Amino acid sequence: MAVKKEKTATFPLQKRSGYVTFCIVMVVIVLAAFFVAVRLGSVDMEFSTIWGVLVNRLAGREVYEEVWRTSAETIILNIRIPRVLTAFVVGAGLTLCGILMQVLTKNSLADPYVLGISHGASAGAVSVIMYGWLNFLGGYGTMAGAFLGAVISILLALRIATIRNKVTATQLVLAGIAVSALFGAITNFMIYHTKTGSDKVKTATYWMMGSLSGATWEKLKYATIAFVVCFILIMFLTKQLDVLLLGDDVAATVGVDTGKLKLWIIIIATLLTGIIVSISGTIGFVGLTFPHITRSIVGTKHKRLVPASMLVGGAFLVIADILSRVLVAPEELPIGVVSAFFGAPFFLYLIRKSGGKFGGGK
Amino acid sequence: MRKDLKLDVENVTYAIGSKIIVDGVSLGIETGDFVGLVGPNGCGKSTLLKCIYRTYQPESGSVYIDGNLTGPMSNRELAREMSVMQQENIVEFDMTVFDMAMLGRFAHQKMFGNDMLHERELVLAALAEVGMEGYEERSFLSLSGGEKQRTLVARALVQQAPLILLDEPTNHLDIGFQYQIMSILKKQGLTVFSSVHDLNIAACYCDKIILMKAGHIVAYGTPEEMFTPEMIYKLFGVNTQVTVNSATGKPNIVFIPSEETKP
Repeated sequence: MAVKKEKTATFPLQKRSGYVTFCIVMVVIVLAAFFVAVRLGSVDMEFSTIWGVLVNRLAGREVYEEVWRTSAETIILNIRIPRVLTAFVVGAGLTLCGILMQVLTKNSLADPYVLGISHGASAGAVSVIMYGWLNFLGGYGTMAGAFLGAVISILLALRIATIRNKVTATQLVLAGIAVSALFGAITNFMIYHTKTGSDKVKTATYWMMGSLSGATWEKLKYATIAFVVCFILIMFLTKQLDVLLLGDDVAATVGVDTGKLKLWIIIIATLLTGIIVSISGTIGFVGLTFPHITRSIVGTKHKRLVPASMLVGGAFLVIADILSRVLVAPEELPIGVVSAFFGAPFFLYLIRKSGGKFGGGK
Repeated sequence: MRKDLKLDVENVTYAIGSKIIVDGVSLGIETGDFVGLVGPNGCGKSTLLKCIYRTYQPESGSVYIDGNLTGPMSNRELAREMSVMQQENIVEFDMTVFDMAMLGRFAHQKMFGNDMLHERELVLAALAEVGMEGYEERSFLSLSGGEKQRTLVARALVQQAPLILLDEPTNHLDIGFQYQIMSILKKQGLTVFSSVHDLNIAACYCDKIILMKAGHIVAYGTPEEMFTPEMIYKLFGVNTQVTVNSATGKPNIVFIPSEETKP
């Protein structure tokens, strides 16, 4: 058949070279944002100081002469760097959770925040912090609580959102509203039940709108290990995720063990959401916005999408963290406020775009 | 169970609540045959096919491919034996036509690693076979209904299963595309088991016809044996005139309106 070769590709960066360039550019952006984020704050650092501290630390000896004050080194090493790295891991992790939930529901509106999973996780984490019922797990108690909360809320959300084996956009959004309202209320109740005075408001804000101010190396370590493990597992499942987008029934006839795959997705997504929420509170819309943007650039294939969108989501959260510290300096905005300013309009755009389908149609 | 049959269905029953949709159906399909499943709406055609390709779990009964019970097979093993084309709604996520067709290779691929060169060639050849050459880099969602369906045929072909099941995949296509897809499938020399709505299409392409009504198999035979005015009346309640199509030598079915339905 004589068909004219179509010049316009489906996605801007279909070619491998374009994809690699995109990833390299994103790595550069991440690194640049990293330095800016370490520099800015209540005490501004010189880039030379940051560089010197980093190089000396990594080399394990005094490559650069220590002309800076020890307090500067402490701030950089123990406050700023863990915070910035946490921002990246949280951003990348939430993006990964978003991708997983979108594959699970075959719906681009799905993300841990929209579905109410983040709220479930924060309710779980708060219950452990306030009542200590998982303290026998030591440092993992909060994370385990958040994981349990995430599992309960995802099962609830999927159950409400699924009608005749299909998740419609309307059902998904409604289920999300209900689940987040429920778990948000539980979280606030527990906080107001145990805390007094201004502490109440502060704690509630932390869990409902997110913050990276509590970042420590210790928490970062757990979160990073969890993120890396989940990321590697997902990279092994990318082909199956591609096929699952066709729908559960079709994927099964093509050869995917859909039951097992969906179980893995739920376990990984809830584990990661739980751990992230336990260190950062609920930060909204990251898992919604960045998979979608990256998908429109590099395509739907998860082998390409997952690594690229990790970089985009991670970069965004590092930048959002900078904004949260700069916009109302010397005060600090909860980072969830910044992410919602970007994410909520995007959410509206996606709802609008799904147009006819949003009515629940076919 | 007969080992010589490509597909052997024994006593399959499927019910929703107390309503029996497929009632103890047994059938056998010989290797290389193109078999059409014909019957009125709601007779259980689609349900029977879904029981065979395991989207539904039948209450009782067994399905064998080449004498092997399909029940214990993994999805991956079954996908290598049998490919399925059904009505698909892909609503959200776009991909290229090439990537869409490549998904059919899943059951043959390792968990990690790139698509092999011979697989890429296979996909390109399949796309060319269905007349989608030059469309490889196009967005799947931007295609017309017929183009989408042809891409899905290519995906089913690269799955390289000797048996292919069609669950009303051409229903919403116009007549030209329906004939096109049937003739593409006919050329492959595979064993095909397809539900067919249009009696003339069934007469034209099928080696054997299975007639189904109210969850039962009514009759089984060649199009010439099956498409008689009496049989069609029994199944669909309409009067027809059956002649021999001079171009194909196959039965040609013409609908005759009754007194009540005359225009």
